[in-house]
Amino acid sequence: MNFEAVIGIEIHVEMKTKSKMFSSAPVAFGAEPNTLVNPVDIAFPGTMPVVNKQAVINAIRVSNALNMSIDNELWFDRKNYFYADLPKGFQITQDKRPIGRNGYVTIKTSNGEKKIEIERLHMEEDTCKQLHLSTYSLLDYNRAGTPLVEIVSRPNIRSGEEAMKYVEQIKSIVQYTDVSDGKMEEGSLRCDVNISLRPIGSDKFGTKVEIKNLNSLSNVEKAIEFEIIRQQQLLLAGIPVDQETRRFDETRKETVLMRKKTDAVDYKYFTEPNITPIRLSDNFIKNAIDTCPELASSKKDRYMNSLSLSEYDADILLQDKDVSIYFDAATKFKANPKLLANWIMVDIAAYLNKNNMSISKLKLSPQHLSDLVLLIEEGKISSKQAKEVFADIVESDASPIDVANKLGLVQVSDEGAIKELVLEALNENPQSIEDYKNGKDRAVGFLVGQVMKKSHGKANPAMTSKMIVEELKKR
Amino acid sequence: MKTINKDVLKDAASRLMFDMSEEQYDTLEKEFDIMIKQMKLIGEIPGVDNVEPMTFPFDVTTDYLREDEVTETLSKEDVLKNAKDVVDGQIKLPKVVG
Amino acid sequence: MNYLDLTIKELHEALVKKEVTPLELTKEAIKRAKEDTNNAFETILEDEAIRIASNLIEPEEDNIFWGIPIGIKDNFSTKGILTTASSEILKDYVPVFDATVVERLLKAKAVPIAKTCLDELAMGGTGTTGHKGITYNPFDKKHERLAGGSSCGSAAMVSAGIAPFALGSDTGDSVRKPASYVGLVGFKPTWGRISRFGLFPFAPSLDHVAYFTRSVEDAALTLPVLAGRDFKDATSSNEPVENYAEGINNSINGKRIAVLKEVIDSIHDDKTLELFNKTIENLKEKGAIVKTVSFDLNLLEAIYPTYMVISCAEATSNNANLDGIKFGPRHGGDTYQEVMNNARTIGFCELIRRRFIIGSFSLMRENQNDLFLRAQKARRLIVNKTNEILENYDFIYIPAAPGIAPKFTDSSDKLSTNYLIADNILVLGNFAGLPSITLPVGLIDNMPVGANLMGKKFQEKALFNVAKAIEDGTGLYNLSSRKLVK
Repeated sequence: MNFEAVIGIEIHVEMKTKSKMFSSAPVAFGAEPNTLVNPVDIAFPGTMPVVNKQAVINAIRVSNALNMSIDNELWFDRKNYFYADLPKGFQITQDKRPIGRNGYVTIKTSNGEKKIEIERLHMEEDTCKQLHLSTYSLLDYNRAGTPLVEIVSRPNIRSGEEAMKYVEQIKSIVQYTDVSDGKMEEGSLRCDVNISLRPIGSDKFGTKVEIKNLNSLSNVEKAIEFEIIRQQQLLLAGIPVDQETRRFDETRKETVLMRKKTDAVDYKYFTEPNITPIRLSDNFIKNAIDTCPELASSKKDRYMNSLSLSEYDADILLQDKDVSIYFDAATKFKANPKLLANWIMVDIAAYLNKNNMSISKLKLSPQHLSDLVLLIEEGKISSKQAKEVFADIVESDASPIDVANKLGLVQVSDEGAIKELVLEALNENPQSIEDYKNGKDRAVGFLVGQVMKKSHGKANPAMTSKMIVEELKKR
Repeated sequence: MKTINKDVLKDAASRLMFDMSEEQYDTLEKEFDIMIKQMKLIGEIPGVDNVEPMTFPFDVTTDYLREDEVTETLSKEDVLKNAKDVVDGQIKLPKVVG
Repeated sequence: MNYLDLTIKELHEALVKKEVTPLELTKEAIKRAKEDTNNAFETILEDEAIRIASNLIEPEEDNIFWGIPIGIKDNFSTKGILTTASSEILKDYVPVFDATVVERLLKAKAVPIAKTCLDELAMGGTGTTGHKGITYNPFDKKHERLAGGSSCGSAAMVSAGIAPFALGSDTGDSVRKPASYVGLVGFKPTWGRISRFGLFPFAPSLDHVAYFTRSVEDAALTLPVLAGRDFKDATSSNEPVENYAEGINNSINGKRIAVLKEVIDSIHDDKTLELFNKTIENLKEKGAIVKTVSFDLNLLEAIYPTYMVISCAEATSNNANLDGIKFGPRHGGDTYQEVMNNARTIGFCELIRRRFIIGSFSLMRENQNDLFLRAQKARRLIVNKTNEILENYDFIYIPAAPGIAPKFTDSSDKLSTNYLIADNILVLGNFAGLPSITLPVGLIDNMPVGANLMGKKFQEKALFNVAKAIEDGTGLYNLSSRKLVK
């Protein structure tokens, strides 16, 4: 029997707003425990939630990027359950009226393009962080109340590759819209996968298994591939799949059981009575969308159509949002975009790679990179010499022209100065003039070499060569 | 609707993280009996199913959203001063599993 | 004469004239508080009050609260001061912030004398369920009768002449009912008029900050200090705050007042009805148009179950933060569940736990339609009917209770079929969020009985105007057990 996988994905994205979803305490990563907390976050009695405007703007931007319809009124609900990390004993979320509904993204897989449908996007708040030690756990409320968006796909994902591409796409969107760091390894983008198998052609759903703690794109793919095979083997052997929660064990490269699921938890949702409905005017929604930072897909169009980059180059630049920001900044100056792209993809990439550094930490400013490329374009230094200059400025962010001068690399392009040396070389080498007249073109090369020697390599080779030929013709 | 019996009530209590005495469950069963009858009567009021559930006492729709600014943060001491078990600036609990 | 026996308005004049100083007043209030025999207090704030009062030297003529001793119900967060909500689960909780309304009172230089007792977590109507035990009605020296709840301590404090003002909270009738039992003015404004930030929630969609005074004018004079938009309470209103006492003595000629027929019909105490009817005659003499209107018996009978389901459901969720982890006593446990379980089992009285189960059960997925959502729909029908009456009338006027304060032996917090419309009618004001004021209309066997007037939303000024006319008619102004009970 042949099976197909039915996969749905829930993604939680931590927003990088200044303050929390419902309180004015700061949002930050890695601060001393319990120093980013206000009375609302730790659920002191009598505290009340007040909705963060930027969080709403962010949710609108992501909803729009996911082609969703956006609600014009905000309603929040309480999701009631007890857990060690849940300060209020309920989480404020949007159950009945999520801000975004019915969207999709288009992904590109080895089998071509596919539309992944998205059911809903809603805002909610994060829990506090638990640190589990050998015999006890510690609670840090810094994370409590951090704004989240949850994005729930419809179950029309069919493979590990599709799932991975889908998550990659969401990650790109939340990063490019400036909504989140989107770092899976740090937990700012968390993804839970629901997966079941059914015979091809059936429209019934099999028993769902949930996979949690997928902390990288490749683990999403690997975990699903493993799980498909595991469930397939069970079904073929006539063993029913149990409804359970599993996690991906990175070292064993397989999913392992976390817990069996009993009956579904009843969260006893009801409308949050401390947040009155909030009207979102058409203008507010439009403004949130109009001022949204450029998405990767739009940048790609621009790179290919206005800047004439190849699709391959555009994709590489867009893999990392910060790289594309660097590139965009560099193109604000005069240098040729294609050359700039090459420098970023080759030399800068190699440097960052060697130093295990991200581009946001790079000393070299986009302007100085552009200046460097311009020196080559104007023939002031050769590409080879540019590498020497780059080695300096990538560490110092000094002005490329200053460095080239300091290293004695700037080509002499002053016609008078070159002419003097050309005449000198010709006068010293009558044999070469003779050879040229006898049709031996390589005499030119020899003479250029002589001029370069006299100029200590600084004479502009193209100008030198042109001038020698002119002079030879006169004689 | 779920049928009321002692087990159902005990399960509800345990989900609310407390226990009660047997006598209290007896009292509660009687209270439920009254309440459910009364709520059934309400279900028979003409028009009750033709209106939307009401959360707020009147139309309170607003367009206010809080600006994304940090205005209030407690000191670590204030965060922790009411907690009974604090280790390394964090609240301690028996090890939380699963 | 003792200055503490004056109304706020009178006392303010005496303070401004420097006939008495805030420190003298405070010392007298503390003395009276310590002599209290009604179990009104969780905490007497002797040191804090003396410290605040000592700093009040130059009277502020246009600040009504300057130097006025006040009580604060112990479910308002007070920074650095124990706040228990009269519950074991919060018996050692010291908040790190002030409720907005407390902040406003302190800024206005009122002097908090005490945190007052309540029914545990404000979830009761008898004043008997707080962790410190029963609060007695100051009018009944035999200690046989309720002060009423849940704001029992604040009611007893003001009635016993310990302070002329005390904060309470009103979710069903928790200020307006006890006001009737202890002979006070008990007022709750429109929902959203006073910020709830820092009030420990019982049921946010019904909760109101409310208060006791000994005159209608005091209630009107103090409201501007408490009212107004608060950015920490998203439900607080932007409606402009008014000078509510202005025009309080205006003519009420032509005002339309509806008396609810079914409520009157459900009251069997002739003396109570007689006193109430006398006020109606008086209102008519002053030119008001008073008509008896029918509400709808089905809807009136639906009030109590509807209230129970909604309030218990919201309450079980609001109080889920009380788990012994972040604050409140811990009672051990080998797992986090045991820590929570012990804290909550020991921390809540049995009544509270029963209420939480009722609320939680009503919210369960398979029960919501039949219980919680049905109650929310019934609420809408009841509110629609109320507003329909208020389209033709300016006010709804009813007895605030079926009679004088009942004896403890006659009251129960258990749900019963023994249902009295007049005992639960004040909830209308919470369902619809309307401003509502209780004031005394007479004494029966030396026990007070009150009436209640409800107005249109944000029409507090008009409400005070008519309430003042009723008060003028009865002459029951500045009633207190200290003066009447020997």
